[in-house]
Amino acid sequence: MKNTHIQTTVDDHRIAKLAAFAILLHMVEAVIPSPLPGVKPGIANIVTLYVLYQYGFATAAWVSILRVFASSLLLGQFLSPTFILSLSGAVVSLAALWLAMHLPKRYFGPVSLSILAAFGHIAGQLLLVRFWLIPHAGVAYLIPVFASAALFFGLINGLITAKLLYNKR
Amino acid sequence: MRYLLLLLTLLLTSCFNEPLYHSQSYVFGTLVDISIYGESDEHARFLANHILDDFQKLHHQLHAWKPVSQNQLSELGQLNAAFQQANSPTPISPALAAMLEDATELSIKSNGLFNPAIGHLISTWGFQRDEFTAIAVDEAAVKNLLHAQPRMTDIVIKDNAAYSTNPTVKLDLGGYAKGYALDIAVAYLRKEHVKNALINIGGNIIALGKHGDSPWRVGVQHPRQPTAITTLALADGWAVGTSGDYQRYFMLNGKRYCHIIDPRTGYPVEHTQSVTVLVPPQPLNQSQAGVLSDVASKPIFIETPENRSKAAQALGIENFMVIDDKARIFVSKNMVNKLNWLTPNVQFTTLP
Amino acid sequence: MFNLPRYLKLLNPKLITQHVLSGDWLVLIAGLLCVLYLFQTLWSGEHAAKVQIRLGDKIYATYSLNQQREVHVHGKLGDAVIVIAQGKARFSKSPCTTQYCVHQGWLSHAGQAAICLPNQISLELMGDAKPYDALNY
Repeated sequence: MKNTHIQTTVDDHRIAKLAAFAILLHMVEAVIPSPLPGVKPGIANIVTLYVLYQYGFATAAWVSILRVFASSLLLGQFLSPTFILSLSGAVVSLAALWLAMHLPKRYFGPVSLSILAAFGHIAGQLLLVRFWLIPHAGVAYLIPVFASAALFFGLINGLITAKLLYNKR
Repeated sequence: MRYLLLLLTLLLTSCFNEPLYHSQSYVFGTLVDISIYGESDEHARFLANHILDDFQKLHHQLHAWKPVSQNQLSELGQLNAAFQQANSPTPISPALAAMLEDATELSIKSNGLFNPAIGHLISTWGFQRDEFTAIAVDEAAVKNLLHAQPRMTDIVIKDNAAYSTNPTVKLDLGGYAKGYALDIAVAYLRKEHVKNALINIGGNIIALGKHGDSPWRVGVQHPRQPTAITTLALADGWAVGTSGDYQRYFMLNGKRYCHIIDPRTGYPVEHTQSVTVLVPPQPLNQSQAGVLSDVASKPIFIETPENRSKAAQALGIENFMVIDDKARIFVSKNMVNKLNWLTPNVQFTTLP
Repeated sequence: MFNLPRYLKLLNPKLITQHVLSGDWLVLIAGLLCVLYLFQTLWSGEHAAKVQIRLGDKIYATYSLNQQREVHVHGKLGDAVIVIAQGKARFSKSPCTTQYCVHQGWLSHAGQAAICLPNQISLELMGDAKPYDALNY
């Protein structure tokens, strides 16, 4: 049998390292109990946002999706509702980021992107909940709570990312 | 930023603290709901209490079957007692005389379909009681009363006294008094320079001004469900009234007997579930909007399906809605654009 | 490692906002308005949140519709029983002879009301999105 060796690039290594860091943050957050189920700071998004600024959208998308898959495998939630929720949140959040990164850079910095991504995240999750998991109007009640949390943590994460990016320079 | 926050808080507090006074009381044997907008709470309470006192007095004056106290009948009760002895004039107050003249005129206009003189017929059916029960009606009594033909035109009013040429006349102003009370309340509020109010006496509603920036909104009850079927805006001076077979009725052997009795047959109407009329402000020397909103729904309710529009026209009603015994909805041409259905795809027939 | 004054300096508002651009403020304010709007519409929506019970001309009590309970109210004629469950409310027992109030059944939307005239008790579902000021019945 021929021994195949997968060729890895510098990019691959970088993605792997950054994803590992994001996974770590994801796990830390999973362990810390949340006062409200479903409301989480989403600190792993700091990594996604940082990567977006440093290495571009493709790398950020890889890091984000890898993080979702790997964390769920590690937490034993793979293909469970938690995983699907996490994935749909990440996908819509990435879509929001992709749109937001085309805004003029002079006026819209990491804080904007972080807030928009956070809103995208809950929007993706709530859409899934509404149309698949719990298809009745009951969740509408929780939307304002999730939206406030998204705004708050989006802002904090954005500020932290901005600090990391600009203080380094 | 700071100003923006200030503006936001101002906006929010104004949403939650609007100057709306609201009171609810049981007078007139029904629920009276008074909303006053734009007055101080204290002043609004004073006005509302004054209105409620007036209603209480009217109730004592006009009650068709309840005595004011043990030995004293209401003014209407005394008159009814005197009517039984034909041709014996009884002194009545100018207010009651004016009411009876107005009611007589409306009765004539409606070709007798609005007939407050059939009190005996109504009590035969058992509806002149606070707590009525299902009864098998005395058919012979109904027949006799129908034959005796008590009518408003049998009443003669002269020199502040009244008598009846027909001893079977018994006044029941149940389909008139609530509307009259609305007119009195509106006249009082206008005199006190109140700009905005909404008064609801057991479902008969009249509006004064607006609710803030938008007109007062009224929901029209679905005759068979505990919810509104449509809403409409009630502009200054407009009144709305509904007659329904669900307001006072009893069930006997699976059949519904409602309190609206056809004076031509002596029996409760079966072909209608509800009639709603919307009435604009009226010229001063005529029946007022409140009275019309109370009175005008009855002839439309009683009249045969093909003649409903005629019954409305006879009383000058342009805006009305009928829901018949098969739950079909009919809306007059002028009314169509005034209704906001609360469920999508409501089917209705437009009447001329 | 624990240079507390240095960390406290990070809380300086000027330092925090130094990387916030004008567009960021715009996004933040838009987000805030969005959240406020969501609270206003979804927390006072068509689905009523509360039921107000009136006895005579007084407000007897106001209950959340999200909690299951049975309320006994002593009216003019006697005890009426009002049941609140799963976002709905109704008269379940009444001493009146007509029983119209009981036949009204479950109320679930803001603005809906059931009135027991003989016993002088009324239920009304409350909510900011009440579609009308008064009910014509």
